[in-house]
Amino acid sequence: MIPGKLVRFLEQYANVAFAGIRDRDLVPFGHRVSGWRIGVDQRTMTIMLPDEFLAQLVESLQHNGELAVTVEEFPSHETYQFKGHYLHHRAIQDDDAESVERVRRRFVRSMRPLLPDAPEDVLSAFVSPPSLAVEFEVREIYLQTPGPGAGTRLIPPMEK
Amino acid sequence: MVMTRLPSEIRPVLESGTPGVMVTCSADGTPNTTVISQVYYVDETHAALSFQFFSKTIKNVRENPRAFVCVFDIAGLAHWVLQLQFERSETEGPVFDAMDMQIEAIASMTGMSGIFKLRAADIYRVLSVERVQHPRWRM
Repeated sequence: MIPGKLVRFLEQYANVAFAGIRDRDLVPFGHRVSGWRIGVDQRTMTIMLPDEFLAQLVESLQHNGELAVTVEEFPSHETYQFKGHYLHHRAIQDDDAESVERVRRRFVRSMRPLLPDAPEDVLSAFVSPPSLAVEFEVREIYLQTPGPGAGTRLIPPMEK
Repeated sequence: MVMTRLPSEIRPVLESGTPGVMVTCSADGTPNTTVISQVYYVDETHAALSFQFFSKTIKNVRENPRAFVCVFDIAGLAHWVLQLQFERSETEGPVFDAMDMQIEAIASMTGMSGIFKLRAADIYRVLSVERVQHPRWRM
């Protein structure tokens, strides 16, 4: 179950995400993520992806189901990795698009101090319009903030 | 267009200090996704990544040498995707020294000075590289 603290991080602060998969030959591949939502039971996440390499993504997920999604708050670099198993994919719905729009606004706000003169459409382009939603069951969560603690498993907690 | 050599246009992106993302896969088939602070241009067919901590990424590429790296060109509205193969680890020499200096500079800029220490420069062969343009939103 995704703890409340991480739900708040995902819904209010995080502004960058990336999904990792692998194919039948164990070759890894990555996909940009435009937005995300947490399931009402806090056991699943739905990620929204732009129209890039989607055939490869779906083929790999249907083959082995393995998915690792890193979500970050820029510029603090607070980062968590959510590992889990693919459940299904579907077309984008209105509430997915609203989630992406919230991420896009947070990302532009975070970048503004670094690129004060950049046009809004340039900063917004980093978060591309979504084409596909993928729901997965979250089985493990890791701290991934850069530093010596990166890689510490938070859920399920590591045995002491 | 998919290329097998790093083009000159990618060098400013690699040298911009913008964090990238790396995906690796363990021998048992579990992918791992992590933010990386630096991708170092070695030559047209090689890139180096920093080995700072004994992480899942380091373990994975020693079990399964394939790696995926994405670097972002925010101002250029694009990103680059690289397929890499781990070749060797260097703990001294010009690549190690240059990466060590860059890491300290990045750490200093991001308020993380003293947290990062380069253990080795991991050298990867470039299998493919591709630039992906981002669409603009209608504002």
